[in-house]
This record gives sequence, structure tokens and C-alpha cells, in this order.
Amino acid sequence: MLLFGIILNLFPLPQILLPYKPPIVLLFLIYWALAYPNLINLTYAFSTGLIMDILLITPLGYHSLCFTITIYLILLYYPQIRLQSNANKMFSLLIILIPYFLTSTVVNKILGINFNILEVIASVLISVIIWPALFNVLRFIRQKYTS
Amino acid sequence: MNNDLHFKDNNITILKLLLYFLISVSFLIVDKNLEFSNKVRINMSYIIHPIYLAASFPSNLFNSAKNYLNSKNSLIEENKILKNRVFIQSGIIQKIPALKQQNKRLKKLLGSSNSQSSSKILIATLIKVDLSPFSNKVIIDKGKNDNLYLGQTVIDSEGILGQISEINYDFSVVTLISDAGHALLGINPRTSKRIFISGTGDNRKLKARYISLNEDILEGDILITSGLDNVFPEGHLIGEISKINRDDHNDFLDITVIPSSSMSLNREVMLLW
Repeated sequence: MLLFGIILNLFPLPQILLPYKPPIVLLFLIYWALAYPNLINLTYAFSTGLIMDILLITPLGYHSLCFTITIYLILLYYPQIRLQSNANKMFSLLIILIPYFLTSTVVNKILGINFNILEVIASVLISVIIWPALFNVLRFIRQKYTS
Repeated sequence: MNNDLHFKDNNITILKLLLYFLISVSFLIVDKNLEFSNKVRINMSYIIHPIYLAASFPSNLFNSAKNYLNSKNSLIEENKILKNRVFIQSGIIQKIPALKQQNKRLKKLLGSSNSQSSSKILIATLIKVDLSPFSNKVIIDKGKNDNLYLGQTVIDSEGILGQISEINYDFSVVTLISDAGHALLGINPRTSKRIFISGTGDNRKLKARYISLNEDILEGDILITSGLDNVFPEGHLIGEISKINRDDHNDFLDITVIPSSSMSLNREVMLLW
């Protein structure tokens, strides 16, 4: 399942859309962490991040750092988030993604990678917008195959 | 889940977070220039390559479908245009041996060293996958078996693209000249002044740096590689100066260069020896 998410993350998009691409693997991870908080722990997030670093040719530790922090927040607040309505979930996701993009921005800055802050914000907003659809699709798949 | 257990769990989670945080940060420090992860990637390329191929499959499918559905008329039209172009280009190429001879003779007269031009060209196809939007790297389908070497020049039909930064068994990584960590030494043929050009992280923009305020440089000047950096051979097109910002508070001009090659939009690139 996660492999599929990774492949989806690598899918080529038109050049114009590229900077706004949401972190699909992270959204997958967040969903699974919400669904099985006992199964998806920080080790899982960390190793997924390492795999992403190797595949995306970023310095080792970049994605794993961001993923670990985000999944930590999810593991802290999943009982509350699970009970929320869809709109509320979108808002919570927005709050939870802010530290992710903050970390990635700080790391980018330290590594000297240039980036456009507007594109980063757009990427967060797009992640939030596609979240309900992604959530329902993943839940459908999970309920179909794991019950 | 039991509430007490939950509380205990949280404590462990914080410890884990700290541990992984420290590991990640130390990895980042060690692997700032991708030296360590290069090794990992080389050893794991048998696993990585299929994933890349799977990710690029839909776009390949789309392209082959587009090729298949091309109408006969448009193909005939395209063929005509291509034939015309080959005809004109072979006309231009006729002069090259004579020019080469002349160049050699003139260089001898001037007593300057002979620069050898590239002799072999290999065409490689890009594997279309989206890497991180912040890194300017592309993946090509040629690897160790094709005798590539690190730092090899990659060009497309319009200009210089970048250099090979990592060689695996069946794919290689090309760092584009627009990568934020990449720089090369170009030359302005109009004034034969050397110009230091570095990437910005944006595919459509390069920056010419450390050019003093009184330097003779104009918008529209074309920049070529100088061959002085010992990486890129001499005389390949880099780009065109599009904007010169003159700010008297800075010591240097702020010059934007538009690269002439279309960077990661290519489907095929050439490797030079």
C-alpha cells in the first residue's frame, strides 16, 4: 500500500504543477496512522522517510525527519482527530502539516536549497483540499481488504 | 486501549521521537553532499530501478498511445519538415572540416594549446519521475555498462544540460546546471570575458555572479562553456542573458540567464565523451 503511495509520489506531473505537489506519501502515512495507531509507529515513519530520501535523491534524513515529526503529532492527537467531522479533519490536518513544512523549510534553508514560500503554502493547501477524497478512497480500500 | 498503558506509550513515543530526530539530523549532517546515500543507492539499484520504471510507466504509455494515434498525414508532414532540416544541417556541416583545419592552424599560430573536441555521443532517455521539487536532478536510463564516468557532460539539442553525479547499474543521476549547488565557468564570446554561472534551483533561471558594475555585458548576450572548469568541454551553449539588474548598493551586477536547453522537459539527451 505504501509502495503504491511512493510510486504515486514519483508520478510525473506537468512542469507547472510540480512545485505544488502535495506530499502524497505523508498523507498516506497519516491515514494509516489514524487507522492503526498501534501498528504505524515512529519507526515506520522514519524508515519510510529513509526510503523516500533514497528514491528522491535528497540528503539522507530529510524526509525521515519531517515524517517522524508529523507522525508523532498524529500519534499524540489521533483520539481527538478520529472523532472529528470531515471539515474539522481538514483543519486538523492543516495544523499538523504546518510543522512538517516548517521543518522542511528550515532544512532547505540550511542545505541552501532555493524554494518559493508561496509554492510551499500552496502545497499545504492542496494537501488539505485533497484530504477528504484521499481519506474516503483509502478507507474504502481498507474496509474492503482488511475486514 | 487501557488509559494507563496509553500514558506509558506516550513516554516511549517521546523518547523515540528524540532518537529519530537525532538520527535524522546526524544523517543530514553526514550526507549533506549525498555521498553516503549515493553508496546506498548504488547497492540498492536493483530494487530502485523497477520502482522508477513503474512510476514512469503511465507517462510512457500516454506517449506511446499518442504516437500510435498520430494520423498518417501529420506523420508525412513531420517527415517532410525533418527531411528539410537534415538537408539544411548537412549543408552547414560540410564546412566544419575546413573550419576545424583553419582553427587548428590559427591556434598553432597563436601558440595556444589544442583543445580536443568530443568524439563520441551516446543518446540516453530520461526516466520520467518526479523527484523532490527542490532538487534539480534527472534520471537517465544509462548506467555502469555504458562506460559513463562521473562529471560527464550531458547536453540536449539546444544546449548544455548538466553533468552526471551518480552512476548506478542501470540508471544514472544527472545534476542539472540549474541545481542550486551547481556552478560552471562560462564565457561571453562577444567580449571573451569569463563568467561564473550558478544555478538557482529554478529550472528556467540561472544567475551570473561576481560581475562588477562596470563590466561590458548586455542583455541578449549568449554564453558558452569555456572548458576552463575541466568538466564541460569548450563551446557548448549555456544560455542567454535575459535581465541585468543594476543596484548601486551591491558590489556586483544581478544578472539572470535563461538556459537554452529545455532541462527536465526533454525526453532524450546526449552524453559526450
